Amino acid sequence: MAVALALRTIGPVTSDGELIQRAATGDRGAFEDLYRRYARPVFGLALRRLGDRGRAEDAVQETFASIWRSAASYKPDRGPGAPWLYAVARNAIVDRARTRTDTPTENLIEQADDGAGPSEQAEQGWVAWRVHRALEELPEREREVVALAYWSELSQSEVAEFLGLPLGTVKTRTRAALAHLATLLEDELE
Amino acid sequence: MTDLNDIIDFDDLDANERERLERVHALLLQAGPPPELSPSLTKPGAPPEPARILHLQPRRQRVLLLAAATVAAVAFGGGYLAGHPSTFTAERVVDMHATGGGNALAVLKIAERDAVGNWPMRISVSGLPQQAQRTAYYELWLTRKGQPSESCGTFRVHGKTTTVDLSVPYSFKGISGWVVTAHTPGETEPGDVVLTT
Repeated sequence: MAVALALRTIGPVTSDGELIQRAATGDRGAFEDLYRRYARPVFGLALRRLGDRGRAEDAVQETFASIWRSAASYKPDRGPGAPWLYAVARNAIVDRARTRTDTPTENLIEQADDGAGPSEQAEQGWVAWRVHRALEELPEREREVVALAYWSELSQSEVAEFLGLPLGTVKTRTRAALAHLATLLEDELE
Repeated sequence: MTDLNDIIDFDDLDANERERLERVHALLLQAGPPPELSPSLTKPGAPPEPARILHLQPRRQRVLLLAAATVAAVAFGGGYLAGHPSTFTAERVVDMHATGGGNALAVLKIAERDAVGNWPMRISVSGLPQQAQRTAYYELWLTRKGQPSESCGTFRVHGKTTTVDLSVPYSFKGISGWVVTAHTPGETEPGDVVLTT
């Protein structure tokens, strides 16, 4: 029941593709919505690839400047917005790496990942991009429990104590958040 | 926590829903935590304004085009290829010349579209002044109806000739040319056009 109720809170949202098309007409509100959705995924991708916060911040700014300038080149019949945005971000990050160093750039996009081959690294980058993008769509209270459950190194009992909530509430909320994410990440789960 | 059982109770879920949540669980572990945004990134910067194009008189433009083609052939025919791998196979070569009567030149080579949909390109520029500021840079743009429309990448120059490899996913259909702009920190992007086709 809790999951079903939670799923109903996901209403129809403007797609990434629609926002890109609106940005192409000069709609700054649409551009800001894209920024809200993708600033963190772009920053995460840049950090992963560049390994430096300052350069990653520059890459975020350049990515969104590029999105604004090139939004008219997005063709919805060629696919949804997320892969297009990913390609623009990836290019901006490679450019940032190239312009700030004198080192060879052939493999710069993957340099921050250890152990995996290029295809696995690309896959990891894409998965992180999609998951971080989906997290932005969760209600704040669900995003909070997911972050605490997965990346704080606290047990759920400790999370409950930290938030001042009953353990059952924390687990129910976390389950609802995972169900939301499952819906948002439908393509990844296929 | 790496076990979903430690995070939620799902004894009451059917197998399909349970499997779905386990996949999400695995994706979260694979993705890792999202980064904290720096204060400077909490809001988007102002979208860039259109570039200021510096137009030349037609006659002067024709003279410069001719000079650009001649000098580019000499300047890049030997030294450029000697300093960079010769494996770049161009499908199209575009000459660029300076706006405003300068002596700068560029040769832009564009390769065939690659398997994932990007066009590799290599630009060699000569005669552009080295950036006075550490964070200043040049930027290559596609133009549509004479206006910069899509960025193809940014670069800095050093020495007489600088060669940079770029890659873009954009379609070249309907473009009217290429320009290079000079960007100085604190100024509105994309800055003044310094090279054009």
